[in-house]
Amino acid sequence: MAINKLIATEFLRDRAVLAISPLLLLGAWTWACHAGLFPEQILVSPQRVYEAGVELWDSGELAMHLEKSLSRLAIGFSIGALVGLAFGVAMGLSKRVEALCGPSFNAIRQVPTIAFIPMLILIFGVEETFKIVVVAKAAFFPIALATLDAVKGVPKQYFEVARVYRLSTAQLVRRIILPATVPPVLTGFRISLGRSWMVLVAAELLAADSGIGQMMEMGRQMFRIDVVMVGVVITGLVGFVLDRGFRSLETRLVRWKLP
Amino acid sequence: MKNLLKALPRAQGLQGLWLPLLVLALWEFTSRQSAAYAYAFVPLLDIWHSLLGLLVSGELLTNLLATMRTAMVGLVIGGSLGLLVGGLMGVSRTVDKLIGPLYHAVRQVPLLGWIPLIGLWFGNGLLSKVLIVSLAAFYPMVLNTYEGVRNVEKRFIEVAQVLKFSRWQLFTRVQLPGALPSVITGVMHALAFSWISTVGSELLFGSGPGLGGLMQTAQAASKMDVVLVAVASIGVIGLIINVGFTRISRHLLRWRHAH
Repeated sequence: MAINKLIATEFLRDRAVLAISPLLLLGAWTWACHAGLFPEQILVSPQRVYEAGVELWDSGELAMHLEKSLSRLAIGFSIGALVGLAFGVAMGLSKRVEALCGPSFNAIRQVPTIAFIPMLILIFGVEETFKIVVVAKAAFFPIALATLDAVKGVPKQYFEVARVYRLSTAQLVRRIILPATVPPVLTGFRISLGRSWMVLVAAELLAADSGIGQMMEMGRQMFRIDVVMVGVVITGLVGFVLDRGFRSLETRLVRWKLP
Repeated sequence: MKNLLKALPRAQGLQGLWLPLLVLALWEFTSRQSAAYAYAFVPLLDIWHSLLGLLVSGELLTNLLATMRTAMVGLVIGGSLGLLVGGLMGVSRTVDKLIGPLYHAVRQVPLLGWIPLIGLWFGNGLLSKVLIVSLAAFYPMVLNTYEGVRNVEKRFIEVAQVLKFSRWQLFTRVQLPGALPSVITGVMHALAFSWISTVGSELLFGSGPGLGGLMQTAQAASKMDVVLVAVASIGVIGLIINVGFTRISRHLLRWRHAH
């Protein structure tokens, strides 16, 4: 009992240490505001940012922007992920498809998604289509690449074992191909989800009538630094939640991999 | 003739040409359909002419050099700071616990999401761009240096203890060389991210010379040909950086393959 308590306090102390630097930053920030080191247009207190956040939430504005951004992310990511998955499998299984599409795939992969934005705006205009295409493009490449590597990485011996055991095709896919490829593909999903989110925020900063990025851009134009900071916090939180969600999904789906 | 046609695409590596050729043909075809299409799908000849024009006038080179300079400055600042912070976090548990949480919290915000805030604080100029690029180079350097130092084999450290190395000797003779492969991976990521984020920040700040700025003005003037030339240049330079550094790192790490 006493030992348990000791471990518990040690655990708590470890946790407390982790909070030191964020708290110090928050303290310095508050102090700088109270001391009036910077004018109001440059730095507002953490409290003001919190109040702005509550205000935006109560008015429903924040929820509206968040919903817009997340639905764009969901639609674009689903399209990009599905196409990427199919393309990766096709390239991994067929030499012919790889010879035909591989060089173009690798050439386009060299250009960062963000650099495609002006071109896509000229083709699709500044409406929804452009944002969804941008997100889908950002999602497509890492997933296609991860799938391609995963499919190619299945050891030949696995197929030989399957033949020895006379597994049917369905069994081969379910028992061998899926378990062997799911972990790296999931990692590809997680990476591309993070990138899609960043690219979407950038696209909304550039051209949008709604969304978290647009909320920040409006805040910048109207010198509402509190609104901009709320946006920074929200984009960070969304990125964090998406990443954590996927990580837990990964451990859940591949729990057989753990000893 | 027929044999020749058959032989050409079957030759290794040439098969990959079919898809780009098909896309180019479709592009040219679309551009001839109507004036409205030619607005986005500029005839190929126009793109070629504007490439020549940009080359001859030196516009492409000036913007390219500006982008590369921003990327370099950001890489050097962010990279060396990242090396320092990551190294300290790897060597000392206390520093890790103090800085780690702040680092991981800040990292959650999508890089380009900082742009409205940085823009409000530091304007649209070179300083803001360099800040964003430094941040882009900083993140992977910290992570990889930290992991490199942390994952140095225990037995090497034990040997150093037996030999009664000082703290400094331990760092320079054991931990730093041990971390080197991981650090070089970090530099590689930092290079890629700083290139992407330079283009992104030029696009979003929309001022000053640089390929991103060139694209932004061209998009505003609906000049698809210039946008495409810029996109292609960004891709080519990205590829050159990537391939070049892979060569260099292989050369630097050749001692690893000796045993």
